[in-house]
Amino acid sequence: MVEVEQLTKSYPDLLTGKFVALDHVSFSVQPGQIFGLLGPNGAGKTTALRILSTVLQPTSGLARVNGFNVSTHPYEVRHSIGFVSSNTAIYDRMTAWEMVEYFGKLYGIPSDRLTERMETVFADLQMNEIRDVAGARMSTGMRQKVSIARAIVHDPPVLIFDEASLGLDVMVARALLEIISELRAQGKCIIFSTHIMREVERLCDRVAILYRGRILASGSLPELAAEFEESDFEELFFKLLKESDRLRLDAAGSLNSMIASGI
Amino acid sequence: MNWRHIQLIYHREMRDQLRDRRTLFTIAVLPMLLYPLIGLLMMQVAQFNREYSVRIRIVGQENWPQNLPLIDHQRHLLSRPGAEGIGRLMDFTTESWPTESDELSKLRLTSSAAVQLDSVDAVLIVKPDFARRMRERLAARSQSHAAVEMDTVPEQAITPELSDGLELVANLARDHSQLAQQRLQRALDAWQQAWVSQELVAAGMSPRLVEPLALAQTDTAPVSVRRAMLWSKVLPFVMLVWALTGAFYPAIDLCAGEKERGTLETLLSSPARRNEIVWGKLLTVATFSISSALLNLLSMHATAGLIVKQLASAGSPQVAEALGPLPIHALGWLVLLLLPMAAFFSALALAVAALARSTKEGQYYLMPLLLVTLPLVSLPMIPSLSLNLGTSLVPVSGAVFLVRSLIEGRYAEAMMHLPVVVMVTVTCCLLSIRWAIRQFESESVMFRESDRWNLHAWLHQLWRDRGMTASPTEAILCGLIILVAMFFAQFMAGSSIADWPSVVSMTVAVQIGLILTPCLLMAIFLTRSIRTALRIHHVQPSHLVAAIFLGVTLHPTYTALGNGIQHVYSLGDQIQAALAHFSQLIYAQPLWAVMLLLAVLPAVCEELTFRGFIFGGLIKQGGALRAILITSLFFGFTHTILQQSIAACIMGLMLGLIAWRTGGVMCCICVHVINNVLSIGLAWFPANQYQLPPSLSWCLRNESDAWLYQPQWQTISVGIALVMIAVLFRRSPETQRVVQVEAL
Repeated sequence: MVEVEQLTKSYPDLLTGKFVALDHVSFSVQPGQIFGLLGPNGAGKTTALRILSTVLQPTSGLARVNGFNVSTHPYEVRHSIGFVSSNTAIYDRMTAWEMVEYFGKLYGIPSDRLTERMETVFADLQMNEIRDVAGARMSTGMRQKVSIARAIVHDPPVLIFDEASLGLDVMVARALLEIISELRAQGKCIIFSTHIMREVERLCDRVAILYRGRILASGSLPELAAEFEESDFEELFFKLLKESDRLRLDAAGSLNSMIASGI
Repeated sequence: MNWRHIQLIYHREMRDQLRDRRTLFTIAVLPMLLYPLIGLLMMQVAQFNREYSVRIRIVGQENWPQNLPLIDHQRHLLSRPGAEGIGRLMDFTTESWPTESDELSKLRLTSSAAVQLDSVDAVLIVKPDFARRMRERLAARSQSHAAVEMDTVPEQAITPELSDGLELVANLARDHSQLAQQRLQRALDAWQQAWVSQELVAAGMSPRLVEPLALAQTDTAPVSVRRAMLWSKVLPFVMLVWALTGAFYPAIDLCAGEKERGTLETLLSSPARRNEIVWGKLLTVATFSISSALLNLLSMHATAGLIVKQLASAGSPQVAEALGPLPIHALGWLVLLLLPMAAFFSALALAVAALARSTKEGQYYLMPLLLVTLPLVSLPMIPSLSLNLGTSLVPVSGAVFLVRSLIEGRYAEAMMHLPVVVMVTVTCCLLSIRWAIRQFESESVMFRESDRWNLHAWLHQLWRDRGMTASPTEAILCGLIILVAMFFAQFMAGSSIADWPSVVSMTVAVQIGLILTPCLLMAIFLTRSIRTALRIHHVQPSHLVAAIFLGVTLHPTYTALGNGIQHVYSLGDQIQAALAHFSQLIYAQPLWAVMLLLAVLPAVCEELTFRGFIFGGLIKQGGALRAILITSLFFGFTHTILQQSIAACIMGLMLGLIAWRTGGVMCCICVHVINNVLSIGLAWFPANQYQLPPSLSWCLRNESDAWLYQPQWQTISVGIALVMIAVLFRRSPETQRVVQVEAL
C-alpha cells in the first residue's frame, strides 16, 4: 500500500551547503498495519511524511502510495491519503461541521453521500456536541478530533499521523490512540510518527527508527528486541541513537555492519 | 484546473474573511465612517479658517493719502471692488509715525518683535513720502499697471529701495501672517485701482482705462465633463490606493496568516492543486480589493456631494458647480479600470504575502509594495502628462490615463491607445498571477524556516556554491548595479563631453568601467568558469551566417523603429543640440577610430554583460522568457535617452532570442556590431554632403538630407530576417547540449 525506496530529501543550507533531511530511506506498509516512524526531533520524520502527502517533492528515490507515485501522480495520492499532523491545524472561524464538509467537498464526495458519511464520522469520533462550535472555541482535543474527521471523511485507504499526539493531555492522547486502533481494525494502512515510546509499544505493528535522516533499524518490536537483545524498547532506542552518534564521530565502517557485529 | 475546487476555496475564504471583524471593519465600516468624519473635520477647519480675523498694525496711518483712505475712522477697511467682504476679517490698529531721527530702523525692529511675539500678524509701515511716491509713480509710468509693491520682511530681509513707501513686516513661517499678507495685498490692490481711477478722473481721463479687459468666455465642455475632468484626476488615485491596501490585508491573512496558524499545510495536502488554491485565494483578495475601493469611492463621492450642497447653500455656487456630482458614466469607467487593477494588485499582494512566514512579517512587505506601485498610480496626476504611446506602455499609469480620456470624452484618443493599454495590463496581470502561483509551488517559500543570517556564512556559501554560470539573483543584482552606476554617471557625462578625448574617455569609462567590470568581477568571484558565465561558446557556422545576415537585414527595421519612436516622442531641444555637437566631434575623427569606439566596443561590452552574464543567470530553471524580457529591460534602461531606451529595449528582445537559440553570446555580438556599424556609417557620411553611389540606390535614398532605406529593401530585409530567425531555431547537438545544461 505504501512503498518507499531510497527516498532522499536535501535542502540548501547556508553553513554546509546542503542539509540532508532524508538519506536513502526505504520501508513499506501494508493494509491493516500501523507502521511507527520513530525518531527524535529533527530526525526526518515530518519530511518523510510530507513527501508521502505530496506537500514536498523528494530529491531522489521513489515513494508510492496506493500504487501511485507521489512525484508523478500527486493528485491521485492525495485522494488516497488522510494526513493529520501537529502542523496541520483547523480554521478558527469555521465550525467543526463546516470544516469537515469543506474538505469532503474538496475530495469530490457528492452532497448526499457526504452528509451521510459525516454523520457516521461525527458519531464514531463522538463529535456531535461540537459540530456547531467554531474552531477558535475548541480545546486542543476537540481540534485534533476535527483534524482526524477531516482526514478520514473521504475514507482513504492510507492514513498518516505525524506526531498527532503532540501537546495532547493523557486522556485525549489515549482517545486518539483508540481511534487509530479502530482505523487499523477497519483495514487502513497507517503510518504513525512519534517520539513517545509508550505509544509505539502500544500501537505499532512495525517500526523504523529514524535518526539524522537515516533508518537505523526497522522491523516488528519482537524482531528488534531479538536482533538487538534488548527487551526494553526505550533502552533499545537510546542505544541505537548513541551508537549512531559514536559511529558518525568515528566515521568508520558502515552502520549496518556495526549493529550486526553485536553492539 | 478544477473550477469546483476554486469555487469551494473562494467560498470558504470569503466566508472566513466575512466572519473576521477586523477585515469587515477595514473593508466596509472604515470607508463608510472615514470620509464623513474627514468631511466634518474639514468643514470645521474651514470654518475656523474662514472666521479667523487677522490682526494688522498700520504704522504711519497719517501718511496715507487723505483724499483716499484705506480704513475709516473706526479702523474698518473701506469696501472697494475687488476686496469685498474681507474687511470683516481684518482687525486694524494704528500707530503714529515716530518722531526720532533714526525712526525707520527702530520701527522695523519693534515691528519684527511684535510679529515674532505674536502680538500682531503683520505690520504695515506707511512712510511719510508714500503719497508723493505714488504720484511720482503715476507720472513716470502712467502706462504701468503694476500693483503696489510691498516688501515682505519675515526677518531682516528688508529692501526699502524697491518699495513705494510701504513696507510689510510679517512672519511668513506662520499661517496667520501669510493670511494677513494675502488679505492686505487684496485690499491694497483694490485701493490702488481706486486711486488710479481717481487720478485719471482728475486728469480728465476715463477711469475705465485702467479697468482690466473683460474677456467673454465660451466653454464648449458641458458642466458634467468639466466636473468629470476634475474628479478624474483625484478619484483614480484614491480608488487604486484603496484597491491595493484592500488587497494587501486579506492577502496577508490568507497566506502568512494561514502559514502561521498551520491551516495552509492542511490545504496543501488536500486534493486542490497549487494553482487552484492560488486562484481561489486570488478571487477572494480581488473581491475585497474591489469592494474596498468601491465603498471608498462611493463614500467619498457621497461625502463630497454633501459638502458641495453645503457650499452651495453657504453662498459658493461656483465651487459647488465645479465640484458637483460625478457623472454616472465616469463612475462606470472607473469601475472598468478597477477590475484589472484589482486583479493585478491582488496577485502582487498574494505573491508578496506568500513570502512572509507570519502576519507580522507580512506587514513589513506592505511598504515596499506601496513604494513600487504608488509612483505608477501618482504619475497620471502630473498635469503635463497625458495619454500617448509612451504613457500607455507604463503599467497601471497607462490604464489610468486611458480611463481619464474616456471620462473626459476623448474617445478617439482612448480607442487608439486601448490595444496597447489592454496588452500591457493583461501581461502584468498574467505575470503577477504566474508569480503568485510560482510562490505557492516553491517549497522554499511555503516551508521557509527562520534561518539566522550570517555575513561570513553567506560569503562562504557564495564562494562554495558558485556554479558555472550566475544564479538568477546574481544576474539581476548585476543589472541593478549597472543601472545605479549609470544613474550616477549621467550627472558627470552632461558637461564633460567637450572634445574627442572626452568622448573616448567617457565611452571607455561607461562601457568598460560601468558595464563590463561589474559583470567580469561577478563572473570571477561568483562562478567557476568565466568563459561559461559569459556564454562564450563555439559558434555553429550556420548560426554565424544567420547572425551576419540578421545584422544587415534587421537594421532597416531598427532604423524605421527609431524614426517612428522619434516621431511619437520628438527629441528635446537640449538633446538635439547635444547630439549635433556630438556628431560634429565624431565627423572630425578617423572612421576606424569612431567604429572601434562607438560600434565595436559597446557591442562587445554590452553583449558580454547582458546576453552573456545576466542572460546566463536568468535562463536557469527554464527561464528563457524571463531571461529575454529582463535582459532587454536592463539593456534598454542603460541607454540614457528615452527614445534610445525604447528602441534598445525592443532590439534587446531580438538579441535575447538570438542568445537563447544560439546558446551563446558570439552571434549577438555579431548582430550588435553590424547594427552599430551601419548606424554610425550612415551618420558618418552626411546625406547633404555625399552623393549616393548608383550601386546603392536600390536600398538607400536621400530624403530631406537624411539617409533612408528604400521601402522595397525594407520589405525584403524583413523577409530575409525571418528566414534567418528560422535558421537559428535549428540547433546542432552541441548547441542543444549547451542550452540544456544551461537551463538546468
